[in-house]
Amino acid sequence: MDFDLMLRVTPFFVAAAWVTVQISALSLALGLAMGAIGAALRLARSRLLRVLGTAYVSIFRGTPCLIQLFVLYFGGPQVGINLDPFAAGVIGLGLNIGAYMTESIRGALVAVERGQTEAARSLGLSRFQALREVVLPQAARLMIRPLGVNSVALIKGSALVSTISVVELTYTAQRYIGSTYKPFEMFAIAAVLYMIIVYGAARAVAWLDARYAIE
Amino acid sequence: MKMLLSAAVALGLAVTAVWGGTTAARADDLQAIKQSGELRAAMSGAYPPFNFVNEQNQVVGFDADIARGIAERMGVKPVIVTTAWDGIIAGLLAGKYDTIVGSMTITDKRKEVVDFVGPYYHAGRGVFVKGDSAVKSLADLNGKTIGVTLGETHEKWAREHAGEHGDWTIRTYKGLPELLLELNAGRVDAIVVDNIPIRVAVKKSGAEIRQLDTPDIEGGSVAIGIAIRKGNPELHAAMQKALDEMMADGTYKKIAMEWIGADIR
Repeated sequence: MDFDLMLRVTPFFVAAAWVTVQISALSLALGLAMGAIGAALRLARSRLLRVLGTAYVSIFRGTPCLIQLFVLYFGGPQVGINLDPFAAGVIGLGLNIGAYMTESIRGALVAVERGQTEAARSLGLSRFQALREVVLPQAARLMIRPLGVNSVALIKGSALVSTISVVELTYTAQRYIGSTYKPFEMFAIAAVLYMIIVYGAARAVAWLDARYAIE
Repeated sequence: MKMLLSAAVALGLAVTAVWGGTTAARADDLQAIKQSGELRAAMSGAYPPFNFVNEQNQVVGFDADIARGIAERMGVKPVIVTTAWDGIIAGLLAGKYDTIVGSMTITDKRKEVVDFVGPYYHAGRGVFVKGDSAVKSLADLNGKTIGVTLGETHEKWAREHAGEHGDWTIRTYKGLPELLLELNAGRVDAIVVDNIPIRVAVKKSGAEIRQLDTPDIEGGSVAIGIAIRKGNPELHAAMQKALDEMMADGTYKKIAMEWIGADIR
């Protein structure tokens, strides 16, 4: 182990880890928004909207995230979508994780007993009121853990954007291996930094989970 | 994974070909570059001594200096982009950067999709084995495993010449660092690579390797060029002129001596 070298390059890995954090946070925000929209579509009364929601989930869960990133980044310009690597990474990862978020959110909503909606409706609440006042507060608690699992998967999956020239943690390690020929040391630094990021995210999820736990 | 990558890139290229035919004629890339004031040059960033990151995380090397020299002579700012080698042409065609100054061998196949400025240096194919290997010639590689970098011309060579010297199994890797590690670990018996970067790599990694004597090997000396998108005669002329100037006024020689230790034009 070349500890001297590891110490010298670690600041640059930390900077790269910040890129990983940024890309993960932004795609998480997009993914949650897409998840909310997707779940609304999947549970909509209109058949067309349901089909749309199902298509979104099937396409983005049914194909590799890597291919989605390639289609967006390399194929996009052919149809007039020319994104820089970072934006393509955020949008690609966000759309992908959004499909998983859709299913987690839908699962949580469906898990709230149907009788509760019916009871709320019979009390004169509108469909929207029943959702907001009765179902969502209960479903929200059920969502925290699955959404947390998705978020951790997203952070680790962000390594994929190294293939579309985003210089984040993984590509930084690969570039350094190219010039130092020390794969163990370089990947070890990257792995430790990933662990720190994932640990932080997991703590945040655990905090939310405890905060909203039902006594 | 590798197959997936290649398939995706191939798909991208096919899509490009189909749609590319319908796009209207556009201005030469040179205008766009002058307008933006930047020449965006792509390389893998993992191919020392031609392009790699130093400990300060800056992209340096022969290719990087050539790219910077050309940009300066064109009166624009050089911007170095590092991107994975197996998608580097797809990225050029998609307009993610203006040129590839990344040690790309000029081949007929590549000429079908890109134009080349240069050649800006010459390199050769070499077959290397571990220092203590019993392999003495290509014939001894019968039944052995050969490592190559996916997408390099050496991969094509290894596939075309399998069977000729007995039979060998081909395994593809991401780049020279992985190849050297695999050779040292004994997972491959020989690697087929460019003969310049490996010398530097060996010095760095301390690996003990030996080049096979292959006097008549196809591709013993090949031309390496700078790729640009097709249909840009003005950009081609401007970059060629800049390169020629660098070769004439000693700049090129200085760069070559610094990184390679020899004039490799």
